[in-house]
Amino acid sequence: MVDMVTLRPNHIEDALAKLHSGQWFTWTDSKNKIYANLRLAEKIGVNGNLVDNTVTELPTESAVNAKLKELQDAWDAANGG
Amino acid sequence: MSKTTIPAGGLSSDSVTTAKIADDAVTAAKATGIGISTAAIWRVTSNFDGDAEPIASNWEEMDAPTGYGELGSNITQSSGIFTFPVTGIYSISYTIMLYNDTATGRSVQNINTTHDNSTYALAASAACFCDSGYLNSSTCHTLFDVTNVTTHKVKFDVTQVTNNSNGVLTGTDYNYTYVQFIRLGDT
Repeated sequence: MVDMVTLRPNHIEDALAKLHSGQWFTWTDSKNKIYANLRLAEKIGVNGNLVDNTVTELPTESAVNAKLKELQDAWDAANGG
Repeated sequence: MSKTTIPAGGLSSDSVTTAKIADDAVTAAKATGIGISTAAIWRVTSNFDGDAEPIASNWEEMDAPTGYGELGSNITQSSGIFTFPVTGIYSISYTIMLYNDTATGRSVQNINTTHDNSTYALAASAACFCDSGYLNSSTCHTLFDVTNVTTHKVKFDVTQVTNNSNGVLTGTDYNYTYVQFIRLGDT
């Protein structure tokens, strides 16, 4: 997860949170957040109700990694990296 | 003089004083209902941006670090709806940690309770501003009189009031965004 001191993104979860809004994903093992354990949430909370997840397809691992690199590059550029 | 029968008219008001009760005479079986009997923390385990009304997934009951504690019967949760193990007056607190990497954002968090397992009412709320490049936390509290564990439930939400830019920060080994339940006493 994001570095608590610098806020530099350093985990795929940081990228996942930026790919879509809300609680669209979950993990089969929250103690081991690797791509293989990534799943779509069945339901999400909208306006007080549980509705079907509007995200219907997991991003590919390469897309997630690319998003993480994009976030890291942006952080580095903004922080003199 | 010791007595083996209670006199007619009952015991006098000063006949059973604290000093006359042996220290080992009050056992756990006779002390139920005294003091706090339920305390638990649940936390959100996966970060997300944007809204969650309610926070419906990625909850876990605190299970780390070594030495963590809980007391009494467990609070349970399904799809973000929390159920109480026994009736009573509960203190409920809801803390959320936010981070922002793009622009100043404002978030509102709510505790919503129901007494009919259907219609929820806003019980507590807090707002939190988070500047770009910073973390911030906020907490709201309520007391909930749970007179029926089947109908009295609680759920938690967060909405990003401005531009969806705040992220909710969570953890699996520590408490960043979490709710705490303490049963204070009988209803």
